[in-house]
Amino acid sequence: MDAAVTSIDGIIIPPKPPLPAAPPLPTGDLDDLVIPPKPPLPVPEPVPVPEPEPVPEPEPVPEPQPVPEPEPEPEPEPEPVPEPEPVPESEPEIAPAEPADTDPQVAPIAPSARARTGMPAVTVRGLTKSFGSTAAVAGIDLTVPAGTFYGLLGPNGAGKTTTLSMISGLLRPDQGTIEIDGVDMRRHPRDIARMIGVLPDRLRTFDRLSGRQLLFYTGMLRGLDAGIVTSRIGDLARAFDMVEALGRPVSDYSAGMTKKVMLAGALLHSPRVLILDEPFEAVDPVSSAVILDILTTYVDHGGTVILSSHGMELIERVCARVAVIVAGQVLAEGAVDDVRGELTLEQRFLQLAGGLSDVEGLEWLHGFSD
Amino acid sequence: MRTALGLVVLVAAVAVGCGGPLQLQTVSADTAGVVTVLSGSAITLGFVVAPLFGGSGDPMDPRAFRGFGLSSGRLAAALAAAGMLTVPVLAQTAVAVCFAVLWIRRGAQWPVAVVAAALGLITCLLAARVLRSVAGLFLAPRRSRELTGALLVGLLVLVIPVAVFLVSLQWNGRIPGTLVEAVRILALTPLGAAWALPWRPAALTIVIAVGTVVLLAAAWWALVHRALHTVEPPAAARGMGGLGWFAVTPGTPAGAVAARSLLYWLTDARYLANLAVLPVIAVVAMVPLMIVGQPFAWVVLVPAPLLALFLGWLPHNDLAYDSTAIWLHVASGVRGISDRVGRLIPVGVIGTVVLAVVIPVSVGLHGDWAVAPVMVGVCASLFLSGLGFSSIASAAAPSPVTHPGDSPFRQPERTGSGGALAQGGVLLGSLLVSIPAVWWGWLSFADRRFVGVAFWGGLLIGAAVLAVGLAIGALVFERRGSRLLELAEAA
Repeated sequence: MDAAVTSIDGIIIPPKPPLPAAPPLPTGDLDDLVIPPKPPLPVPEPVPVPEPEPVPEPEPVPEPQPVPEPEPEPEPEPEPVPEPEPVPESEPEIAPAEPADTDPQVAPIAPSARARTGMPAVTVRGLTKSFGSTAAVAGIDLTVPAGTFYGLLGPNGAGKTTTLSMISGLLRPDQGTIEIDGVDMRRHPRDIARMIGVLPDRLRTFDRLSGRQLLFYTGMLRGLDAGIVTSRIGDLARAFDMVEALGRPVSDYSAGMTKKVMLAGALLHSPRVLILDEPFEAVDPVSSAVILDILTTYVDHGGTVILSSHGMELIERVCARVAVIVAGQVLAEGAVDDVRGELTLEQRFLQLAGGLSDVEGLEWLHGFSD
Repeated sequence: MRTALGLVVLVAAVAVGCGGPLQLQTVSADTAGVVTVLSGSAITLGFVVAPLFGGSGDPMDPRAFRGFGLSSGRLAAALAAAGMLTVPVLAQTAVAVCFAVLWIRRGAQWPVAVVAAALGLITCLLAARVLRSVAGLFLAPRRSRELTGALLVGLLVLVIPVAVFLVSLQWNGRIPGTLVEAVRILALTPLGAAWALPWRPAALTIVIAVGTVVLLAAAWWALVHRALHTVEPPAAARGMGGLGWFAVTPGTPAGAVAARSLLYWLTDARYLANLAVLPVIAVVAMVPLMIVGQPFAWVVLVPAPLLALFLGWLPHNDLAYDSTAIWLHVASGVRGISDRVGRLIPVGVIGTVVLAVVIPVSVGLHGDWAVAPVMVGVCASLFLSGLGFSSIASAAAPSPVTHPGDSPFRQPERTGSGGALAQGGVLLGSLLVSIPAVWWGWLSFADRRFVGVAFWGGLLIGAAVLAVGLAIGALVFERRGSRLLELAEAA
């Protein structure tokens, strides 16, 4: 786990508060890492203590304070979820940290992924797209703050993929504007292409190439230096645990493996924003945990991830904000806690998507034919 | 054992190479010239080509002498002098001496003969050093099956036309005029100039022979200088394994697109089906003409231009073959020109190889080698302009094709007539712009002065249309951007 994270950035994750006993179990590790993105809850005790910092010694970084959170929103969160550990304690006291302090630390780590704090990474206004007479997307507005996990939820055919394709620049909107970091997509498509990493769903890839060739190809198309690309491919292969699989043609891969190699391709140029359509579909739990870990570190360093998924539990766990899209429109948007209210996210989702109540006319299924 | 055997063969070859020329004293000057220039050029070419195929590891790599603190100039001279003592150069020395003796006995002035032999020898020596060094720089890190294959194909493209030409000559007990003509041209190239000096000591020949040596020496000095003063980045050599064609093509977006296209052209049944049609076209075109009684000498000239037309037309829909995988190009914001150029590389290479074989063969069967430049001009015009129009069409109007993995002979569902328009447009366009070349070719049968016009005119028109086509295609590709994917999805 740790090796994976390290090799991606070449640097150890910046000091998560205490991070005391990193459990060997991936999930345990993740829970620790996942803490940051939390919605705006009122600060219970801002406690701007000058930070005695009880656990300074394992830190290789020379900094006086760990102050890791590049969190654009200075919302501290006292861990609303169970976890009655002492850990969250330290969280709020760090959170109000001056952004000026975070900058010098984070900037050298992942310069390109570093989002300008406070700016929305992705802004979508009045997006529409129809195929023939059917409106796949009927006026969607989204604002994704930099340095967050952002989830798109929606039933099948709700327009999630269409929306993500348009944000990825793969599909031209009928109407509406898309801005990434304040850059207009219609006017500067190539600048946008450099800023984002894309993992589409259901699109082919050049599957006659071996995994290594496909990644190399992706890097070359992005205009990266060949030496950098080969070394990054090595790092990603180790992180994603597919060193020996890279020699085989992609057409021989399972669906999950293909996802993984394409995700690796989306990361190659260390983009500001990652747009992932169903990144965990068909991916085994261990790989999912690794990917989540990598993405969490990425977000901690200021990167922004927009993903769509049907895994409610996963979205609930990792995403700071969600948008529920039904029939091409955003029915609910905001911090996860605001959206779900008293319910679980899944219950709330079913409520919005109008699921259970209208299943009628299947009475014949209740009596068996033979 | 192998070394000993090689040595024996070499000694035998040298004996023949030396003995042969010495018996040429009694024949005409042209015959002696043809023999010396031809064999001298062939040997020089050998010195150029052999290092490319040689294994890695150069015992006289300039970098190995870095520790001695010599200046670049001195080291370059020392290494070149040491190169004299290698077996191939020693053998070539013997041959060169025999050439000089031959020409002196035939009455050439002895300084000319000696200088000529020395220039020829130094050309061989320096060419071998330079090529070896260049191969070490650029080829060694990319050494792979694909690269060796590509080099072999390149060699065949050189060798086959020459072989066909030599086979087709009508000897009748004397040196054919065509051959003398060809050798005269060879005498004006870096390969043959030095060897031709005693035969035709023209000012131009001297300039070319001396200039070749000077340029090679400069290149050698520059390579030694570079080797002494730069440290190779290890990154370039590292981790290039397992990349196949990607390790062969340059590390640029266009190079990567070319490598990917090459891999598809050589492995995807849909592309291979296109290539399989080539020989059929060549034969089928000839049969009806033969049946209606056209003379064979003329019918045999038909397949080459037809193949050129077809080859230029082939990539008119190559973008659609990618299907939705094209998203990678769109999402990465690759430059239109990189995409366009890269995609044309495979068909460009394949087409060049095919034409380089078919043109000499058909001209050889035709019998009159004066037609060769005309054929090259016409075919270049058809082929290159076809590529140019295809470059526009494939970005502007992708039409449905068989999906990746399906049988190449399964017909895709077609809707609308856009595809047919593009197909016909590319064919018609390349035919139209090639009318001048064909016309000049026609005129050349009556007036030989038009041979050159047809050759250069055809090449220039083809190149111009290709350049414009690439530029427009690149523009269309970038302007359409995301629309391409919708088309691909629909296709």
